[in-house]
Amino acid sequence: MNPAGDSGGLTEQVAAERLERFIRETFKVGERDSRFSRAVELFEGGYVDSVGMVELLGFVEEEFGVTLSDEDLLSDEFTTIDGMAGIISRRAAVSA
Amino acid sequence: MRLRAIGPMEPSFAWDGARLYDEGDDPSPHLRGAAASVLKTDHGGWRLLRDPLGINKLFWVQDDEGDVVLSTRPWRLIEAGFALEHVRAFPRGRVAELLSGEVVDRPLDPDGLGAGDALDPDDAGARIRTTLDRYLNALATRHGAARTYVCLSGGLDSSAIAVLAREHFPDAVGVSFDLDRAAASDDRLTARRLAHDLGMPLLEATASAEGLLDWLDTVLRDGIDWRDFNVHAGLVNAALADAIATDADGRPALVLTGDLPNEFLVDYHAETYRGTTYYELPRLGMGPLRSALVAGLDSSHREIGVFGAWGLPVVQPYAVAVDSYLRLSEALLELDDRKERLCRVVLGDRLPDYVYSRPKARAQLGGGESGGGVLGMCLDRGVDAPELRRRFARLHGAEEAVLGRFLRAGRYRAGVPAAAGAPVA
Repeated sequence: MNPAGDSGGLTEQVAAERLERFIRETFKVGERDSRFSRAVELFEGGYVDSVGMVELLGFVEEEFGVTLSDEDLLSDEFTTIDGMAGIISRRAAVSA
Repeated sequence: MRLRAIGPMEPSFAWDGARLYDEGDDPSPHLRGAAASVLKTDHGGWRLLRDPLGINKLFWVQDDEGDVVLSTRPWRLIEAGFALEHVRAFPRGRVAELLSGEVVDRPLDPDGLGAGDALDPDDAGARIRTTLDRYLNALATRHGAARTYVCLSGGLDSSAIAVLAREHFPDAVGVSFDLDRAAASDDRLTARRLAHDLGMPLLEATASAEGLLDWLDTVLRDGIDWRDFNVHAGLVNAALADAIATDADGRPALVLTGDLPNEFLVDYHAETYRGTTYYELPRLGMGPLRSALVAGLDSSHREIGVFGAWGLPVVQPYAVAVDSYLRLSEALLELDDRKERLCRVVLGDRLPDYVYSRPKARAQLGGGESGGGVLGMCLDRGVDAPELRRRFARLHGAEEAVLGRFLRAGRYRAGVPAAAGAPVA
């Protein structure tokens, strides 16, 4: 992660917060789920499936106004909330 | 950089709006339809190309010396000793020139699919009709000697292709799938009726549950997917392919299908079997959902890959009309009768009313009244989504955890080989 986390007005911190809120609400992650965190592997952890991933992409494009490449999508980074937030903030900085 | 391909490449049926694409051609940005090629260039390098929808497949691995090994199937790379976690797809809609020490890659069409102002259904329909006619004419000129088969479910899309095919391939044969059971499905009955009305012979591919499941590993390997909706469609295609290959008996054959308008017009819905919902769609608005479904064509090879296992080349004619479909407004996608409306512009009364008035039927279900069709047949035998995933992983010598990094949100992990050394993500 970029420690400064400031990219074109969208910080990684803000992106991560919005992503977490969306994922918790959409995929019904319980408040008491101790396994869940911004560093947990969302797919291998069973939080987001293939269909959910498409919904997550739709959210990212609408909420952050960024379009992710297939390379972004399939990268190892794009498996956790923190990793996703990093990619999104970098893409937002490029398109800003 | 050295490069070698394992196994045959798939035939190209791409078209640039005026002529069919040949591998040596300078690729036009307007190239549409199936193409994936690996071509040695005059400069001693290689040119890799894949069509914009990702209909044809091309996978690769790169070793420590930078040498590239390519194949249309991951399983061939696995058999050659590589691990699935190192297999990547060449990206759809890209052209790359690989020279020693240098890789130059670019989008095939910088404007992208569906560029241009929105079209109303009348305009789009007229364009689709013209495009299909010209494309089928070009195909008939080049492949007229092949025995032509049209996969005919009795739904609008395949029926429209059958009508057009009858004009360009007068000896075309319809092919209809059904599960072996006491009464023929509505799909089969409609296919019989339409084939009769068109004066087209009908080849009936009727499969038992056990017979279908015998092809499951082939469908998983050559269909390059474990997701249930694609595997079930792939099993139907396996039955069709087996019947066609038997009928063709070694003669050159060409298979036409009515695939793709379901993605272009978002004509999918979830199915319920024994109280459980399957084939769920992402909860998105119609525009984003269309984009997701079209992008998802990059993955799964349930048509071309499965027929290819029987040595049968497949053409999906609607692929060349993709731009006209994608220029239809999101408002049209909200209409329940969008497909009928558009099809009436394309074909008018050349398609009988009983086809227009049929409720949507999914090939995997075989007419909807059939106790779940292939979906139910698989579930009743314990072949559910987790089992398909396990089986795909086993067939590819991989841990299940690797699968989510190979295919995610309808896209294969993709990249362009690096000039030397480690692969580029």
